[in-house]
Amino acid sequence: MEFNIDDLPVLFPYPRIYPGRMLAGSYMVDLKKTLDAGGNCVLEMPSGTGKTVTLLSLIVAYQQYYPSHRKLIYCSRTMSEIEKALVELKALMKFRAERLGYEEEFRGLGLTSRKNLCLHPSVKREKSGNVVDARCRSLTAGFVKEKKEKGEDVEVCVYHDNLDLLEASNLIPNGVWTLDGLLRYGEQHKQCPYFTARRMMQYCNVIIYSYHYLLDPKIAERVSKDLSKDCIVVFDEAHNIDNVCIESLSTDITEDSLRRATRGAQSLENKINEMRESDQQKLQDEYEKLVEGLRGADDGRQEDSFMSNPILPDDLLKEAVPGNIRRAEHFVAFLRRFIEYLKTRMKVRQVISETPPSFLAHLKEYTFIEKKPLRFCAERLTSLVRTLELTNIEDYQPLQEVATFATLVATYEKGFLLILEPYESDTAEVPNPVLHFTCLDAAIAIKPVFERFSSVIITSGTISPLEMYPKMLDFPTVVQESYSMTLARRSFLPMIVTRGSDQASISTSFQVRNEPSVVRNYGNLLTEFAKITPDGMVVFFPSYLYMESIISMWQGMGILDEVWKYKLILVETPDAQETSLALETYRTACCNGRGAVLLCVARGKVSEGIDFDHQYGRTVLCIGVPFQYTESRILKARLEFLRETYRIRENDFLSFDAMRHAAQCLGRVLRGKDDYGLMVLADRRFQKKRNQLPKWINQALLDADTNLSTDMAVSSARRFLKTMAQPFRAKDQEGISTWNMEDLRKHQEKMDEERIKELQAQRDRELNPPPAAQAASHVGAGQAESDYEMDDFDEAELMALDNNA
Amino acid sequence: MLRKAPAGGRAVASNGTTAATSSLPVISSEDMCPVCKTIRYLNKDMEFLINPECYHSMCVNCVNRLFNDGPNQCPYAGCRKTLRRKGFRSAFFGDLSVEREVDIRRRVAAVFNQVEDDFETLKDYNDYLQMVEDLTFDLVSGTDAQRRAAEATLQQWELEHKADIERNRKAGKEADEQSRRRLAAEREAARQRRMEALREAEEEKLERARSREAELDSLAQGDVGAGAQRVQLKRRGQAAANRAVEAAVNAAVAAADVGRLSIRGLKEKKKAPAPEGPYDPFGGMDFVPSRYKLRAGLTHPGIEKYKHDPAHITGGYSFDEYMTRAMFEAFAGLGVFIEDEKEVGIGLSAGEVATISAGIAAVGDKMELD
Ligand code: SF4
Ligand SMILES: [Zn+2]
Ligand SMILES: [Zn+2]
Repeated sequence: MEFNIDDLPVLFPYPRIYPGRMLAGSYMVDLKKTLDAGGNCVLEMPSGTGKTVTLLSLIVAYQQYYPSHRKLIYCSRTMSEIEKALVELKALMKFRAERLGYEEEFRGLGLTSRKNLCLHPSVKREKSGNVVDARCRSLTAGFVKEKKEKGEDVEVCVYHDNLDLLEASNLIPNGVWTLDGLLRYGEQHKQCPYFTARRMMQYCNVIIYSYHYLLDPKIAERVSKDLSKDCIVVFDEAHNIDNVCIESLSTDITEDSLRRATRGAQSLENKINEMRESDQQKLQDEYEKLVEGLRGADDGRQEDSFMSNPILPDDLLKEAVPGNIRRAEHFVAFLRRFIEYLKTRMKVRQVISETPPSFLAHLKEYTFIEKKPLRFCAERLTSLVRTLELTNIEDYQPLQEVATFATLVATYEKGFLLILEPYESDTAEVPNPVLHFTCLDAAIAIKPVFERFSSVIITSGTISPLEMYPKMLDFPTVVQESYSMTLARRSFLPMIVTRGSDQASISTSFQVRNEPSVVRNYGNLLTEFAKITPDGMVVFFPSYLYMESIISMWQGMGILDEVWKYKLILVETPDAQETSLALETYRTACCNGRGAVLLCVARGKVSEGIDFDHQYGRTVLCIGVPFQYTESRILKARLEFLRETYRIRENDFLSFDAMRHAAQCLGRVLRGKDDYGLMVLADRRFQKKRNQLPKWINQALLDADTNLSTDMAVSSARRFLKTMAQPFRAKDQEGISTWNMEDLRKHQEKMDEERIKELQAQRDRELNPPPAAQAASHVGAGQAESDYEMDDFDEAELMALDNNA
Repeated sequence: MLRKAPAGGRAVASNGTTAATSSLPVISSEDMCPVCKTIRYLNKDMEFLINPECYHSMCVNCVNRLFNDGPNQCPYAGCRKTLRRKGFRSAFFGDLSVEREVDIRRRVAAVFNQVEDDFETLKDYNDYLQMVEDLTFDLVSGTDAQRRAAEATLQQWELEHKADIERNRKAGKEADEQSRRRLAAEREAARQRRMEALREAEEEKLERARSREAELDSLAQGDVGAGAQRVQLKRRGQAAANRAVEAAVNAAVAAADVGRLSIRGLKEKKKAPAPEGPYDPFGGMDFVPSRYKLRAGLTHPGIEKYKHDPAHITGGYSFDEYMTRAMFEAFAGLGVFIEDEKEVGIGLSAGEVATISAGIAAVGDKMELD
């Protein structure tokens, strides 16, 4: 269908649209507002309502309509989400081409790691992504090509070298390329899909890739540096974005990694000696370049530069490398000293937490290493590795980690903390020291993004409370909005169970979580819901530890045997393979009528990214508020930082964090409009936290359902399931939860009328009535539509879309 | 400008040559004393010492046994150094060659302590740094000749730049001291703030408990009216407001601080409260009409006749007063939006509203009478 938002014509590839997105001040309008204003926004939109396609269709319309042709950078979390978005985009462009009658000049590409895109027969078989990267680099580095040209016998990658034969701005024809399509095209034309995508990024209208390409400074520097300022950046599924930011800047150093770094330094030294004998000139050249400054040494960094470096302030890049690490051998000795220092620090047997300045002061006192050369460490190492023309880069990974750490610790005074934990746990006897260099401030990693791009859109199905994100990530917004769903029938039933059948309150707070009565009440709750839930049921626990203990207690109480009568029981474990096996079995059991319960953890892999649509999840039971483990020193440090810097109180943050995970869990079962499910929050404490749930869940939560005992919950769940069992035709939804063209136009007219009225009222109030034209311009907006006939599409198709969204 | 040409592209002796130190053991065999062959298994608290003469490590027992009676030769085969008990210490680094290097660096750093500001250009400074590094390398791993030359340079430099060295040493010390103090202050401040936050949380909890108690009390006294509830709401609101005000003040103070010094640690001085202005019974409310203008001599045929009626004039009745009031009443309701008012919930009870409107009505009646 086609409609207008203000003056912008939008083509939407489906005949119906959910009203939630069309109401005045709603998703598209807000999006457009944000783009017009060139600012940032935070938008929450229920999961499974076609968020991706809405976003894409508006932004593509925007791109094509306005002359500025702003590029869209769409970031998602996982490879499958990227692929889904690409498929949506492809469908959208096809639809546009049909409607408009011609193909637009348009290119959309996705990018993921080499591991997924490599075609080289032996490289692509490597298991680890790091190894693929490293091996690819050693086949594609600039000097390898030089050597080849000189006639030396070196291994190269034909897929890569073929690219050089093509026109640099037209490596791949116009159109939208899914990752799959890209691979196929690459295979046909014998060209590397990874480098095709990377090099074509400048010439794309839409780029879809993972967060890391923007947030991880080590990657962003190389991959995303050529993108222009007016790009539109979208972070989808962004409820966890702060953690991604933090992780991208944090490192852990262990004794083992230090040992391997020493080995790396040793072999660097050998290489230097070798080279001095054979090719003195190269070292000399490097030296001379370094005297001039880092950038000069780098020849505008090649795309395949050996190692990646953390963010450096620009002035640093222009500055010359400090004199005492200019020479290769000086630098290696410097690294050695630094590593030895770290080793000594690791010997301490008590927990230490210190700030970067105090670390640097101590370092200087004992090793005479100054802050400044330390900042240059990572860059200097990159340059050296390139000069030495090393090929087996995997071996230098740990050394590079140490160098990155050195650079970060010397660059940032605030927002980081060093925590040395000599023992893995409080009870451990054998020391296994880890030096955590942890980033406390999510804003640091994302700051360059906000600085570089004018419009950044952060969106997710569960991103409440909205104001937390701008606070934590330290950015201004134009729009913050949460949209609710309108449903023709209640398709999900959220409930808060606070008491067991015996009226004793249930909770997983520390004082009571292991009391047999509480455990038994939880057990009964599980049994009751296992009885009434059709097909699949997912249960979330706050932690693995608690899950294990409660399961063994249930075993003793015979509760599991009871549940077993109704459902197969499957358990998530920290092991990815075991878990995926469990999931597979679970799916089978859900499909064949046996039914199953999946017991998993609210912060585990299942809670993020695995959908339990339709029969795969009819009930989600959240046992306990999924608080983080507060005894973690890193978390404590972060809490303190948040309080000091952003005035976010500990409890507020913990509660926010717990509730966003709970919301994520709940959102797992409802992945589309025809889906239905029960959402049970089982903890006394949820009652007070109700307002922290996303708006669309909170709205559906009736006051009567916020303080239930097990038996009450079961009976209202029964009633709900009964209504769900009634046949429900797609037509019933029309006009209420989906709109076709007619409805939409009516709505827009109504909105326009209201706007006109408002304007008139305003005019009446003012002494000089404004010219009538002003009001008239708004009338026009509502009438520009054509009269397409709609709906030969079947509701099912729309649903299929939702499941993908 | 200080200048000493860096030694260009001269290759530094690769470490294979003579350096006696390259064969130093890394204490990986941390568990056995190389002299008496005791292993850690037998002596849990075994501790190793080194002597910076030759950096050969041995256990405390050996050191005591060999050197307590005066200087003695190092027990390592082939090592001719004479060592004294006094010179032994435990090593900071596991790798003793690094330990030695750092010792040498300490010596060098004491002499070559110029800072960037001492140089005219950055390039000069970098050249200087490299020169120092080259010299250190010579000392650490150079041939005998190189080492001697380096020592000579070191001494010469020390002689030539005595004053500079002394000055920089002092400055460096001061800077260190300062940064140490700053760090300490910061830590202290952080601690303070943590306490503050804890206290706040505590207080809030207390406040909540108190208000709940009050509620219960009032319930117990059978006074279930809305009044109690309102009081309680108000109190809760008050607490929040107080906190907000406090936070705002703090923020303002912090903002003022930004311009000054980046010392976060310094205690904030209590500011004297702002002087209070004259008392204003209406709390700053202003009764000048905003929607209309009163002109003098405003009149109306209806009141014209009373202007001459002695019954009205003699009492001192002011017709201007009357006009003002009439105008005021005519405009009084404008700009008031019931919806908004309702949300705020001005504390007027229905009864009060009724009396007020009755009063207005009464006034109206009287006017009509006139
Ligand atoms: S250039 Fe492409 S195909 Fe070749 S090794 Fe690298 S990723 Fe694989
Ligand atoms: Zn001994
Ligand atoms: Zn000796």
